[in-house]
Amino acid sequence: MAEYTFRIFRYDPEKDEQGRVQDYTFEVQEGWTILDALNHIKWFIDGTLTYRRACRHGICGSCGMTINGKNNIACETQIKDLGTSTITIEPLRGFPVIKDLVVNMEPFYDKLYAVKPYLITRTPPPTDRERYQSPEDRAKLDGKYECILCGCCTSSCPTYWADKNFLGPNALLKASKFMLDSRDEGFEDRVNCIDDKHGIWRCHTIFNCVEACPKELNPTKGIVELRRLMMRGRL
Amino acid sequence: MTEKRASGGFYAWLLQRITGVVLAVLLIAHFIVTHGLPHPSGVTYARIAPRLATPTWKVIDMLFLACALYHGLNGVWMVLQDYVESEGMQTFLFGVLCVLGAILFFLGAITVIPFAVQA
Ligand code: HEM
Ligand code: SF4
Ligand code: SF4
Ligand code: FES
Repeated sequence: MAEYTFRIFRYDPEKDEQGRVQDYTFEVQEGWTILDALNHIKWFIDGTLTYRRACRHGICGSCGMTINGKNNIACETQIKDLGTSTITIEPLRGFPVIKDLVVNMEPFYDKLYAVKPYLITRTPPPTDRERYQSPEDRAKLDGKYECILCGCCTSSCPTYWADKNFLGPNALLKASKFMLDSRDEGFEDRVNCIDDKHGIWRCHTIFNCVEACPKELNPTKGIVELRRLMMRGRL
Repeated sequence: MTEKRASGGFYAWLLQRITGVVLAVLLIAHFIVTHGLPHPSGVTYARIAPRLATPTWKVIDMLFLACALYHGLNGVWMVLQDYVESEGMQTFLFGVLCVLGAILFFLGAITVIPFAVQA
């Protein structure tokens, strides 16, 4: 048992003009994650604290937030791994705050919908079996399909901070997942959105998204592979 | 690819990389030839001027000028596209960069091309 202070961003649109920081100090049990600490605050100290969570084991993507300046999902962040006794928790950057740690993810989803994140086919499937994909072609999607849509990557992207119309690492990674799928035939459907003024050429290869992703995915690699694909269509 | 599509900055992106590589190569050549690296020697008129007056070096320096201007101004344009929200303002600033590039290219060209060694 050790005592920790949590410095949490608070904002209530009905009361506050601006966000403020509130401190909560209490004993934390061995093995607690940031989500356990937030639950402790909400259930036993201050019921007004608002945050999103659902699965509490890193699969739903609801609990993305900025912890000690770094984006992560709260339920997979061990408190003792942070190495500080004062822990700052803020809502994800780059998205409008609704209340406390809850941000409006609509702009994030809009970018995702824009790249048509589903398999697009023109040829009818075989009648006697599913669409075939070789193990090698399937392996090309490793590191692309595991995304849980937590928003940590796009929220950490300096290009996205500057240009809110930028597709961002998540949408571009999703686009690469489908455009590099051997079964997909939707290149033409997606290309104008990817090859847009606010699309793939705006990424400056800063790697913040790679550092931020709690699933250890590599959106920058996806972007580079997609650029190669775009280049082949052009040259 | 049958259907022609609009580019959202592919050529600008590609040329930024190509000019970057050309600049890196020319920069190393510049430091070796002009500044005499790895054993720096005096940059004197007598040593430099005769070389600058040769057609070969005029071509190289014009290439250097074009690449540096394109790379620098296109880099600024990339930053402006990120940070300037208004499309109208972006178009205006793009015009300013083009005019600035044209003026600087002209000034560079009238310095490089007619250069001759003065007695
Ligand atoms: C050693 C030779 C150079 C190389 C290899 C190089 C390479 C690059 C590359 C690859 C980019 C694109 C980065 C991105 O995607 O954001 C870039 C951007 C840029 N470069 Fe260069 N460059 C060189 C020299 C220069 C010089 C001499 C200048 C100044 C005139 C310059 C000014 C810029 C600017 C203003 C940007 C835009 C900044 C940005 O987008 O982040 N570069 N450079
Ligand atoms: S690598 Fe590209 S997408 Fe990722 S954070 Fe940097 S600019 Fe954004
Ligand atoms: S790529 Fe990673 S950081 Fe981005 S939304 Fe998916 S899981 Fe989250
Ligand atoms: S609560 Fe589902 S990812 Fe954290």
